[in-house]
Amino acid sequence: MSEETALMTQGLTKSYGKVRALGGVDLEVQRGEIFGYLGPNGAGKTTTIRCLLDLIRPNGGTVRVLGIDPQANPVAVRTRTGYLPGELQVDPNITVEGTLRYLNALRGNKADWGFVRQLTERLDLDLRPAIKNLSHGNKQKVGVVQALMHRPQLLLLDEPTLGLDPLMQREVLRLITEAKANGATVFFSSHIMSEVEAVAERVAIIRQGVVVEVAEPVSLINRALRRANVRFKQPVDISPLANVPGVTVLSRDDGTSVLLQVEGEMDGLIKALAAFPVSDFETERPSLEEIFLAYYEDDQKEE
Amino acid sequence: MMTIFRYTLRRFRGQILGWGIALALLCVLLILMYDSFATEQQFQELLEIYPSELTAFMGDFSTMATPEGWVSIEFFSYMPLILGIFGVLMGSGLLVSNEESGTLDLIMAHPVSRTALFMGRLLAFVTATVAILVIAWLGFIVSMTWSSMDIGWGRIWLPLLSLLAELLLFGTISLFLSMLLPSRRLAATTAGLLLVASFFITGLAKINEDLEPVAKLSPLNYYQTQEAFQGLNGTWLAGLLAAMVLFAALAWWCFQRRDIRVGGEGGWRLPSLPFRRSAG
Repeated sequence: MSEETALMTQGLTKSYGKVRALGGVDLEVQRGEIFGYLGPNGAGKTTTIRCLLDLIRPNGGTVRVLGIDPQANPVAVRTRTGYLPGELQVDPNITVEGTLRYLNALRGNKADWGFVRQLTERLDLDLRPAIKNLSHGNKQKVGVVQALMHRPQLLLLDEPTLGLDPLMQREVLRLITEAKANGATVFFSSHIMSEVEAVAERVAIIRQGVVVEVAEPVSLINRALRRANVRFKQPVDISPLANVPGVTVLSRDDGTSVLLQVEGEMDGLIKALAAFPVSDFETERPSLEEIFLAYYEDDQKEE
Repeated sequence: MMTIFRYTLRRFRGQILGWGIALALLCVLLILMYDSFATEQQFQELLEIYPSELTAFMGDFSTMATPEGWVSIEFFSYMPLILGIFGVLMGSGLLVSNEESGTLDLIMAHPVSRTALFMGRLLAFVTATVAILVIAWLGFIVSMTWSSMDIGWGRIWLPLLSLLAELLLFGTISLFLSMLLPSRRLAATTAGLLLVASFFITGLAKINEDLEPVAKLSPLNYYQTQEAFQGLNGTWLAGLLAAMVLFAALAWWCFQRRDIRVGGEGGWRLPSLPFRRSAG
């Protein structure tokens, strides 16, 4: 593990009785990186994050957070980390300000209260009401503020924009980007692909407790299936196109247009199309969401 | 640790005031009743016809006319059972109530060690229990100024100390059980049953010699009420406190090694019942 590594897991396993939550997770996140952790509910995202903070104890594997073993020195890890749980639960009878002050006291009053006010203003969060009177979205804002308020070196965010309206989602993503600009590492789980695509430099896809892919969002998109819509000047026989390796015909009409799915490079298709009277050629970039779903479709087929 | 302690104690203030004031009012009532009842001849005659089964639980009725006998029988005899419920509920919920509500997850994500959290909470529980007994004691000494009863403000602490040790013991037993069992409710129920069983076994052993060996295992066998006024058995008190420390240490040991649960994680996974399996 190099100095540049903020977070590392090797063969991380965790089971609850006979239920396997993590089946050997390998991850490496660099310092100053925004790293997205993708997977549907129950894939193991929250379990991984809770292992990183020593809230739960793995059955096997190695974990290092900012070079520290969380089981050996959990306080040192938590001092440097800001954590937003998937569902924020705090004492419902205390006000927002009381909650933030209490959590700050647990950190030895390290947070600058001026910065806390800046954060609450940007997120349009009123400090006066009791937590029990807050909407789900406002509770989430409390979670975001408490995670960021002490300017941690590492942010572990479990679904940071959950329950927020689109404007606030954008503001939270902006805060995450600013934290990175100030030198923080951000590890966040999500199942909203657009936000991961917007801010993450690399993503890991976790499926049934195993990381199945780690890549940059762009390379995942480039590597995945694309769609090509081809229109012809006159009706043609498209059967030669169906024989091009990696090309599948999705739909066709009277022979003047065809929708194709292309796996991998486009070179073979373009060479084959040279023999046709093409009037228009259009390709669609798949969204990260489609790529992500493809991993799960493959899994369902296996089952 | 002190932040945890202060916050937990603040959370307990409603219970401290509720239990403390209720006990203090009970003390006032009992002490004022002493002048009206205990010294009446007819009341003494009534006490003589009480069955031995009842006196086994309440204490020696022949001493009821004395101030020490009166407060022992009318207050201290059943107080472990009443206040024991407080101890059991507090102990079982000391960590697990936050765990079940999901709030412990965020607290533990802060730079607080498990030991500091455990000790802060335990210290708050001990302080809350002492505070309740101090309020009850104030009820005693204030009402004694309005009555002919004079036990002495210091002597009344002798049975109170024994009561404190019992409450702390049942609280830590409950805390230990909450670390082992899958829910707070189950831990509180089990500890509550132990408390009730201990009360009955200790009482019944006084009228049935066969139960004496079992009663020796009962924590309430070492609870001192009237006897405390004659001189507190220090060994018994130390024994209760040592048992309390043992259960607290066991609970701490378990807390160090377990997962912080959220939404039933780590609970007992009992096999599905046949009708539930077919329902799916």
